[in-house]
Amino acid sequence: MTPFSRRAVVAAAVACLVTGCGGGADSDGPVATETPGNRSPAAAGSSVSRPSPLARSVPVGLEIPAIGVDTPVVRLGLAPDRTVEVPPITADDPAGWYRYSPTPGRPGPSVILGHVTVGAHGDGVFRHLARLRRDDGITVRLENGTAARFAVTSVRTVAKADFPTEDVYGDTARPELRLITCGGPLEDGEYRDNVIVFAALRATAP
Amino acid sequence: MRRNVLSAAALACTAVLATAMPAFADDPSPVPDTTAAATDSAEQADGTGPSPVPSDRGASEATPAPAEDTDGVTVVPRGAPDTGDAPVAEQSGGDGLLIGGGAAAVLAAGGAAVFVVRRRASGA
Repeated sequence: MTPFSRRAVVAAAVACLVTGCGGGADSDGPVATETPGNRSPAAAGSSVSRPSPLARSVPVGLEIPAIGVDTPVVRLGLAPDRTVEVPPITADDPAGWYRYSPTPGRPGPSVILGHVTVGAHGDGVFRHLARLRRDDGITVRLENGTAARFAVTSVRTVAKADFPTEDVYGDTARPELRLITCGGPLEDGEYRDNVIVFAALRATAP
Repeated sequence: MRRNVLSAAALACTAVLATAMPAFADDPSPVPDTTAAATDSAEQADGTGPSPVPSDRGASEATPAPAEDTDGVTVVPRGAPDTGDAPVAEQSGGDGLLIGGGAAAVLAAGGAAVFVVRRRASGA
């Protein structure tokens, strides 16, 4: 009786501690600042034959088969604090194209953003963006009926405090694409990092 | 001995009730959700609709040409994009940890009390 009750009390306390700790360790996701793939997107694919740039046309759709994304694309501008606007937080949140960046298929970095999670609605359109790997395909449908097909050159997870502004928004000689979402662990309800996919134009259609 | 068992059971029940109370009190509070949604929608509306803060900001944002007409980024945004509204389960994760920790503390205290009672009863 004596050792049994003692063991019972100890076991209950241990079980309680385990469940208590489990509550906070739900899904912090991968540890940040990892850099799978190539860190110098401008150098990747330079020897591959370059497709001709597309005519200017606003993006209306985005497909990323590797992570099951097929979404409309809305236009985004600047927020009053001069940060980039983000897509609306809705159940089927769309991706958003930053309208002060080139249209996809034009020379320069075309920037498309999407949420990783959308609060009570659960996963965002870019929930699995960090799973992309080099050479994964990305297709952007344009308003004029053409499409720009990109291939991933690198995927970077960087701390928001060290956001690589020049790498993302700096000029490039060829048509490129940037996909941006949040990532890393949550700190005070905010994601610590950004996940950035760098891609280069591989083909155009039709 | 039976008294000891009964007192242990009473302590366990007390611990369960003590941890259940804050959990019940924590759940049904719709107030933060609505305010968060209001903020979000306000921000979104601000970007698409007419700006409530007139000429200065509107003029400075309207000045740069949309990149539809140029190659390259015409306006570089400030800072990093905030493209993640934390899931509800993650937001309440801290509360879960607190409740779990509190329950553990209460149980540990209960266990200590049982131990003392049993030691006294056995006269050791």
